[in-house]
Amino acid sequence: MVDAARQPNITIKAFTEVERVEGFVGNFKVQLREKSKYVHTDKCNGCGECTKVCPIEVPNYFEMNLAPRKAAYVPMSQAVPLKYTIDLENCIHCYKCVEACGKLEAIDFSMEDKISWEDIGAVIVATGYDHFDPSVMAEYGYGKYPNVITSMEMERLNNSAGPTAGNLIRPSDNKNPERIAFINCVGSRDKRYNQYCSNFCCMYSIKNAVLLKQMMPDLDITVYYMDIRTPSKGYEEFYDRARELGIHFVQGRPALITEDDETHNLFIHSEDVSLGKVIEREYDMVMLNQAGIPQPDQNTMSSVLNIVQSPGGFFMEYHPKLRPIDTPTDGVFLAGACQGLKDIPSSVAQGLAASSRASRILHSEEWEIEPTVAVVWPDRCISATGKQCGLCAKACPYGAILYETGKAAEVVTAKCHGCGGCVAECPHNAITQLHFTDAQVLAQLQALLAVEPEKKILAFRCHWCSYGGADLAGTSHFDYTANERGIRVMCSARMDSDFIYEAYRLGAGAVLYSGCHRQDCHYITGQIVGATRAERLTKTFEKMGMSTGRFRVEWISAAEGDKYARVLNEMQANLDKIPTLTLKEEIEKLRPQMEQRARRMREVPGVDEALQYQMKILASQKAGEEVAK
Amino acid sequence: MSHATKTTFADEVRAIPGGEHLEMCYSCGTCVSKCMIQQKLEPEYNPRRLLQLVMMNEREGAFQSPTTWLCSACDLCYPACPQQIHISGVISAVKQKAVEAGYHSPLESVQVDEKLCSGCGICVMVCPYEAPHLVEKKIKGVVDTVSESDPNRCMRCGTCVGACPTGAIARKGIANSDLHKQILPKKQGQPAYKMIAFVCDWCLRETSDLEILESYSPDVKVVHIPCSGRIDPQLALLSLQAGIEKVLVCGCKPGECHFMRGTYLGTCKLGILDQMFTQIGILNNRVRFVQIGTQERGRIRHEIDAMLATPSIPVEVK
Repeated sequence: MVDAARQPNITIKAFTEVERVEGFVGNFKVQLREKSKYVHTDKCNGCGECTKVCPIEVPNYFEMNLAPRKAAYVPMSQAVPLKYTIDLENCIHCYKCVEACGKLEAIDFSMEDKISWEDIGAVIVATGYDHFDPSVMAEYGYGKYPNVITSMEMERLNNSAGPTAGNLIRPSDNKNPERIAFINCVGSRDKRYNQYCSNFCCMYSIKNAVLLKQMMPDLDITVYYMDIRTPSKGYEEFYDRARELGIHFVQGRPALITEDDETHNLFIHSEDVSLGKVIEREYDMVMLNQAGIPQPDQNTMSSVLNIVQSPGGFFMEYHPKLRPIDTPTDGVFLAGACQGLKDIPSSVAQGLAASSRASRILHSEEWEIEPTVAVVWPDRCISATGKQCGLCAKACPYGAILYETGKAAEVVTAKCHGCGGCVAECPHNAITQLHFTDAQVLAQLQALLAVEPEKKILAFRCHWCSYGGADLAGTSHFDYTANERGIRVMCSARMDSDFIYEAYRLGAGAVLYSGCHRQDCHYITGQIVGATRAERLTKTFEKMGMSTGRFRVEWISAAEGDKYARVLNEMQANLDKIPTLTLKEEIEKLRPQMEQRARRMREVPGVDEALQYQMKILASQKAGEEVAK
Repeated sequence: MSHATKTTFADEVRAIPGGEHLEMCYSCGTCVSKCMIQQKLEPEYNPRRLLQLVMMNEREGAFQSPTTWLCSACDLCYPACPQQIHISGVISAVKQKAVEAGYHSPLESVQVDEKLCSGCGICVMVCPYEAPHLVEKKIKGVVDTVSESDPNRCMRCGTCVGACPTGAIARKGIANSDLHKQILPKKQGQPAYKMIAFVCDWCLRETSDLEILESYSPDVKVVHIPCSGRIDPQLALLSLQAGIEKVLVCGCKPGECHFMRGTYLGTCKLGILDQMFTQIGILNNRVRFVQIGTQERGRIRHEIDAMLATPSIPVEVK
């Protein structure tokens, strides 16, 4: 941190919050709120006279509330920049600090928050993580039994600069403990609280145990664990070292802790899995290795930066394997535990990777994006005639569409990622997606349903998940119906209802509408747009009197090849149940309605040409077949 | 994909409601240490191992395991399980399979004295396990309705024994006559102890708590009962009649009762006794029911001390 402060190209804005982020990659505009510290940072020299005279003492967050701090304070002695802050919430306005500051005149109670806008090329998010509060787990008695503490509290007690100057003592009677225990996985790997593994705690507890054992060789240390996970370089060797030092490891998750009310000694009840027996052992002190959890304002940050969160609440990367640093919004990168809990080496590696990813943007004149962007035909946009619409802007997960009544909608190409949600949502077909135009998809539809359409199952697959699922089903040799015909679009958001109507107009036997699971969507909220539409379509077809199972909605990930095959086999079985004549009658009966609903698509520029071209191909195919005969 | 899959023992268990989520167990041992059966009853008792036996399709091993038969479905483990497996549901599914396969519970069930049974059906209502049911039987040539207990369902809590108004239901060790013998002194005259404590076998988790109980001897006479649901207001009255000053009944905390709702039934019964005392105008400081939680180590000492310290007011019937 000190190095960073000395580096001329780095400006540290302490006590500052990012409130709004506008613009796009390379051209962000960021609104910053510099909170008032009531101390002018340019005048304060960090002498600490104000702290000495301040009469107020409140719990010190940095010391895990084990020690007091003043209302005029620095959060920790290594703080960068070393500038004091007045905690106005606890200040009693005695102004002794102002007197102590004297001629420096650094303290100013009239200061207000400063709001500023900055031009930013790229953003790196490194907001870290928070700790799980174990007091909700009544079985461990944290908060009720004085000698049950968290490992973070233990760190402070064991720190030579901490409140006890490195003397590990029991909170109940200030005596040095003789037998201590660590409990791992408190609040993690636990479906009641957090399902995920917190990643670093195994090593963290081993490290703490080794540190204590080195300082106090007579200390009896036991680590209770479910599994010890030491996957990185040198970790297993460190674990071995801990065992060699005589630290006991018990496999078994303690069910509860009880306390002797006179001595405040603790009794851990746990099964020793290797013995298959319940053991009850007495300890002087118990440390809980609590889980890491997302920061409390993680949700706010994700909406400010327009990035997504994974199921655990941490920020989601663009691709778990290939782009682990990037986010769905170009120019925003992730580093450290805010993306997922990780230890120090991984955080450092990710931080360095993020900075190099960011500098790629700062040093480039141009920025390449996917070519599948959306384009508006301004003459077709209803908004240009002064009518209210804005459906495209609502559907866009990236905020890439500028919409204003009276003006045709406009796509900020640099922000567009090409999901095609706006294209499918536009009721006037005024937007098109390059490489996935209505005409192109329609041409595919025509070709796939040219022969015996009632026997065909038309599958719309999204590029990232269900297409991969279909691919996996193929490469894994899972048997599924040969009547399946697939059409790939970028996202389930692009699966225009017109396509579905058109498919039924052409006589398709069944249609599968498939995309990513909600949490896996490649386009932030694209799947939600698609799913809402699919729900609407299901209801419409139900009202029309379509046989059940002819329209099916399934969310299939790229890893679910078996599911893809199963779903299609089920659809085929369902289709086989309907007698051919009944099916044909139904198709004929619904055809006029479908034609009516899909009529707008025929007005789209290019559709006619595509269809004519398609007819030519079909004709030439037939001619070829005849020649072959 | 098209291969027909064989139905395994694990699938059979999973198909029974309650048997789901079986494969989620990663053997952390929380259920084993939360449960008290291994410590108090059977060292071989281990739900985690039973789940593993089922997962590995060890049918016979699972049926013969004491875990299958001893689980009383108290569900202490269910809220503690980090994988949220309803363990007692799985065990009861295995038990169902075992009974279907012709295995029998090793537990000794209650006996019904058909001559005394009036067929009132109170036992059917109180039993947490739906073990007793009324059947028509020919007794001495007369068709009569009597109670009968399903030995594979009975978990030996003794709630029915305490509830039976005619004393027709009994089990060795906790029958009315057995408890009376323990309450009343062997020799005629005033008993040597000031207080009698009816202690449920499960409410005191710690061995040290049991040692505390023993340390009060001979002032406090301890009568062990399988569940506080076994208590009967008559037992309390009998103790007072015999000249014992105080009666303490210890049960589990609601939600932690080893026999699902035994502690609730016990509380209700002593509540009725309390109301009766109020109606006849006696200040009741002599009979108390305490509910001790699994984490309340050492509380029993405070309870007994407090009880002994209260001066007993002589009974004056208005």
